[in-house]
This record gives sequence, C-alpha cells and structure tokens, in this order.
Amino acid sequence: MSLVVFVVVAFAFAGVALALRSHERASFLVGMVGLLVVVVSAVAMDPAQSVVIGGTGLVTSAYLRLFLVLGSLVGLGLAIAGVAAGIRRDAPAVTLATLGAAALTLALTDARSAVIVATAGGLFGVLVTLVPSGGRVGATVGIREARAVVVAGAMAIAATAWMGRDLGQLPAQPVVFGLAYLAVALAVAIRFGAIPFHLWAARLADAVPETALPILTVLGPASLAVVALAWTDASIAPLSLDLGAVRTVVLAVAVASIVLAGLAALVQDDIEHVVGYSIVGDAGVVLLALAALDPEAWAPARTWILAFVVTRSAFAAWAAGIRVAFWTGRIPDLGGWAIRSPVLGIAFALVAVAGVGFPGLAAFDARAQLVDLALDGPFAAIVTLGTLAPLLYYGRLLVIGLSRSDRAVRPAAAGAWKPRILRPDMTAPRAWLRTTWNDNRAFSTAVVAAMLGVLAVTTAAGAFDGPAAAAGLPPRVEAPGDPAATLSQTPDAADWPYSFGASTQRSISRS
Amino acid sequence: MNPALAGVALAVVLGAIFAGSARSARAAILGLIVTMVGAPLLADPVAHPFGLAARLVGAILAGYLLWVAGRGPDARTGGSHVGWPTDAFVAAAAAVVGYGSHGLGAPATGPALAQATGFALAALAVVPVVMGRDIMRIGIGLSLLLGGALLVRTGLGGTPDALEEVLTAGLMATLGGAVAIMAVAARNDGTAGYDLVSSSGRRSRRALDARPSERP
Repeated sequence: MSLVVFVVVAFAFAGVALALRSHERASFLVGMVGLLVVVVSAVAMDPAQSVVIGGTGLVTSAYLRLFLVLGSLVGLGLAIAGVAAGIRRDAPAVTLATLGAAALTLALTDARSAVIVATAGGLFGVLVTLVPSGGRVGATVGIREARAVVVAGAMAIAATAWMGRDLGQLPAQPVVFGLAYLAVALAVAIRFGAIPFHLWAARLADAVPETALPILTVLGPASLAVVALAWTDASIAPLSLDLGAVRTVVLAVAVASIVLAGLAALVQDDIEHVVGYSIVGDAGVVLLALAALDPEAWAPARTWILAFVVTRSAFAAWAAGIRVAFWTGRIPDLGGWAIRSPVLGIAFALVAVAGVGFPGLAAFDARAQLVDLALDGPFAAIVTLGTLAPLLYYGRLLVIGLSRSDRAVRPAAAGAWKPRILRPDMTAPRAWLRTTWNDNRAFSTAVVAAMLGVLAVTTAAGAFDGPAAAAGLPPRVEAPGDPAATLSQTPDAADWPYSFGASTQRSISRS
Repeated sequence: MNPALAGVALAVVLGAIFAGSARSARAAILGLIVTMVGAPLLADPVAHPFGLAARLVGAILAGYLLWVAGRGPDARTGGSHVGWPTDAFVAAAAAVVGYGSHGLGAPATGPALAQATGFALAALAVVPVVMGRDIMRIGIGLSLLLGGALLVRTGLGGTPDALEEVLTAGLMATLGGAVAIMAVAARNDGTAGYDLVSSSGRRSRRALDARPSERP
C-alpha cells in the first residue's frame, strides 16, 4: 500500500538521520535525501486505497495525498532555507517524522488511534529545540512544548474514548457531550498555541529557528485539527444539542486568537515572533471551524488548512531569508530590505497575497464562509475585519522595507540578492562548490522563499484540486474486515467515521 | 472484582506514587517502569498478544532511555513536596472517584479498575506537570498523565485492538526518548542537574544557534 511505503520511508530516514546526529553532515544528507524521497512517495500515492489491521483501517484519500505532497514540499523548502541560514539542528529528521505521523493520523479510521499518533508526532518536535551540543535553554523550551503536546493529547484521548461507544443510555447528555467537545477543541487550541495557550509557543519562537517553527506549530497540529473536525462533525454536530456555553468558550478562543494575535504580530520587534503570531492568528480560523459545529464547515476548513500550512511555511522561509541577507531579525533595523533584496520582496508579496487573499481566492472564500458559519450579525463583521489584521503587520513590514535605512545595515555582501557564480575551478572542485554555496546563501534562501510563495498563492487559489479534495469524506472503511473497502462519496451523517452509531444518534436526538 | 486485575492495579498505583515522590532519579524511573509495564495488563479481556508485547516493549524502551538519562549518583529530581503519604491519599481518593463513576454516565466496555487506576495516575500527575521545576520530574508527570488517560480510555472503551496498542507503544517510547534527550541535554549544561532555566515569565534566554546569522 502506497501509504505504508510513505510512512516507512519517512520514519526510516528520520530514524537514520537521528541516529547519525553526532555526524552533522551525514545526518543532514540523510534527512535531505529522505525529504526528496517522501516528496516522490507522496506524489506517487494512490488516493483510494485501504487496508484493515485488526479492527482499524488505514485509508488514503485525495486530501491526504495533497496534504502530504504540500507538506513534503514545504518541509524540503524549509530544510534548504534552514541550512542556507546555517542552522545546525535536527530539522530534516523532525520534519520527516512529523510527516510520517501526519500521514498515519489522517489515514486512520479510528479517532482514538488517530489522536495517539498525532500526539506522538508532536513529541518529535522537541528535538528541534535542542542544539547538537546540548543546552539547558533548549531543554527547558522543549519540555514545555512536550507538556503542551501531552496535556492536549491526554484531553483528546479521554474525550474520543468517552464518545467512542454506545451512549444511548447516557443521562445529562448536553453536559457530557459539551465537555467532550470542549476537551477536543481545547486540545487543538493548545497544540496550535492559540491564545490564551500561547506562552509555550511564544517561548518556542525564541529557541527554535524560524524555518522549524511551521513544522512544530502548523504541520503537526493541522493533522490533529482535521481529525478533530471529522470527530466533531460525526459525534457532536448531528445531535443538535444546545451546547451554547461550551461553544462560546471555543468561539472566544478562536476570536481572541484571530484578533489579538494579529495585534501582537503588529507590535513585535523580531520577525520570528511575527511569524509565530501570524501562525496563531491563522489557527484561530481553524478553531472557528470547530466552533461552527456544522458539517458545512468541513470543506472550507480543510481548504483553509492546506493554504495555512503552505502560506505560513513560505512566511517562515522569507523570515529566514531576511536574517541571512541582513544579519538581523530586528524589524526596526530592516529599513529598505525590499529595495535591497527584490527576490525577498517578491516572496513577501506572494506570502501577503496568499495570507490575506481577495474574493475569489479559495482560501479567502473558505475563511469568509467559516466566519459566517460560526458567527452571526455584527460579531461576524468584526471577526471578518479581524481576519484582515495581517494587512497591518504586512503593511508595517512593507513600509519599513520601502523606507530608507537610518543606519548602516547592509546585505551580508554587496549584491547578495543576486546569484554569484565563480568560474569553476576543476583543480579544486570541492572548494569551488563550498565557496559558491557560501556566496549564494542569501540568494538561495530568497529563491526558496519565493518558490514557497508561489506554492502558497496557487494553493490559496484552489489549485491542485484542493477544494474538491477538501470536500471529500474522512477515511472510512465501508465494512470492517473488508480489505476491498472503498470510500463513500455520499455526505450523509451516518457515513461519517468516528461516530458512535446511528442508533445512539437517533435515541439521543429523540430525547 | 478480578483479584488479578486488582493486584495489577495496586502495583501500577504504587509504582506511580513511588515515581512521583522519590528524589533519586533512578528510583523514580523504576517506579515509572512498574507503572508503564503494568498499565497494559489492566484490560479485560487481555489485549491481543502482539499488541500486549508491543506495549511491554514500548514501556521497557521508554524506561531504559530514561534510566540512561538518570545515570550517576548525583541524578536527583524534585520529588514530592508533600510526601508520599499525601500522594497515596490523593491517589486513593481519585481511584475511588474513578471506580464509582465507571463509564462516566453510560455503560462502559472496559474494567472499572482501569478507570480507577487511570484517575489515580492522572491525579498523581497534576503536581509534577503543573509545579515541576526540573525536566525529569515534569517528564515523569507527563508519562503518568498519558498513562492515566490511556487507562481511562481502556476503562471506557474496552481493550484496544492490536494496531492501537502498537501506536500507543510508539507514543510511550517517543515520550520516554524525548524526555531522556532533554534531561541529558540539561544535565550536560552546567551543574544544575535537570533544573529548568529560571524564568520570570519573560522571554527565555535565546539558544546560541537559533539565529546563527546574528553572530558576529
């Protein structure tokens, strides 16, 4: 099965790269080769396969394939940008492990198993917080990240187990279902570092290279969010219970993340914190989908998640490009960056277009639809304005980028934004390669950022059949034990996986 | 009540109390290993042999990695601030609540003892996870919390299938490995053992190579 190949390849290369972590170059090389291989594996994945192991199934879908293709591409791009920036971390290995875990999470038909894998995937990320030679600072940030991941995982495991059985005789249903729903929604919020659970994520931005940030706070949590959406739509939404109080809590977290993260990103002085808070703001839109409690939110939410993953990765690559080119990430010191480095300017423009969007763009329409589904009246208008908050911090960065520098901040070398190829020296080819690479670090990072920016715009525009893939049903085996099971394309509530049975739904609805 | 299950549950809770209250890192890890090895046995019917074997391997691997990180006579962890008797009473109270509320409002398909033990482990995990000031203690707390959630899952939903057991084993081993790596990293940096960097709530000191291009 093509999914198994992907998972085995991802974990095998991650394991070898981690085993070789004391040999920096070998580990990096294995990680990069692994990322190339998983890109090929993801592209070659058959989107309609299933396998049943025990009582649980693994099912591929067009959405899973697209998520993995995009995730692998951004992982590869971020790894290249990271090495160009001179970062010596386990980022390629962690990216591979995160991709493997995301593949399993999205393919599993049992939500209880899926949240277990999503939690394990989050734990791989702590390795990026550590510098190769050790360090108490990195370990402190890492254990705090592990704490957030495990607390979220424990909440999700308990909630999915609570709902994963016949609950027809359950008294006090709104309270019980509300608590389970709240636990899963807050688990997703904690994993994304949504406000007010953002402190660990903010500290993460201090200790982790910006190119690794999207792997930890976007790619891994996004797979958990997809599972949570499917679980909510299958187990909670069809019951038509009055969950007003808990839904208000989820809405409050979502709105606070959208609005306050936008403002926080505006006032930050370091670009990595701008990247971090921009991720939190976009994650708030995902939480809006959970707060909507409406199966209509399924397709736009998954469309948004695809654009979110790619756009924020491109933004992180741009931030890495800025640091390599200008040797600083302090925003007040970056006067004239867009003029001095046009490639980074192009990358930034692409990221801004993909991140904010305009009517007609799939991601923009998906976000607007989610706001409409989750909120009514003036609140919807206010939150819609809040989703445009990125305009403020993009605008600030652009104004500084087009202004004249008031201090002697220059690119690492004159004309660093352009490629510089020395005449090949066949007597010392390795030295020539090393020199060429070192001379083109800034240019390479900028080009990677621009390429990811193009990918972000195309994804946000709905290319690669993204919206169609997002509208497909979650993984579901038609008949347990039937290895020839196929995906149903009928969006009927009874067809959703993770649910606790139609009879239970009927008895609860009647009561 | 199945006396064999009751014995296993008692051993799991005692191991957790020991893990949460011991000040010697290796003693605490030993208690955790007892807990992690015993937890998958708390199921009725017993898990599929393949899944059970995977859980045991995962538990032993996690314990071994932590054991390596706890090498040396000076490997100390915070231990319990209130003493093991208080921890034992907390665990007993939580176990009673878990046993009495078996199913949490609906018929459950797993044993009540699993839910009771899960509640006890989760209660014992609260203080290390929330108040822990060293990596080993927080890591042990996280393992207890995860173990508790998984036992509650078994108590509510019945014995997990083989694939879920394998995935759970992977999760426990990953957590053990991650905590071990961080514990070693902290211990190799200075003389403060497993202690966290002191923080006043402001930003942490930046890691040296997080922004390599900033270095002169």
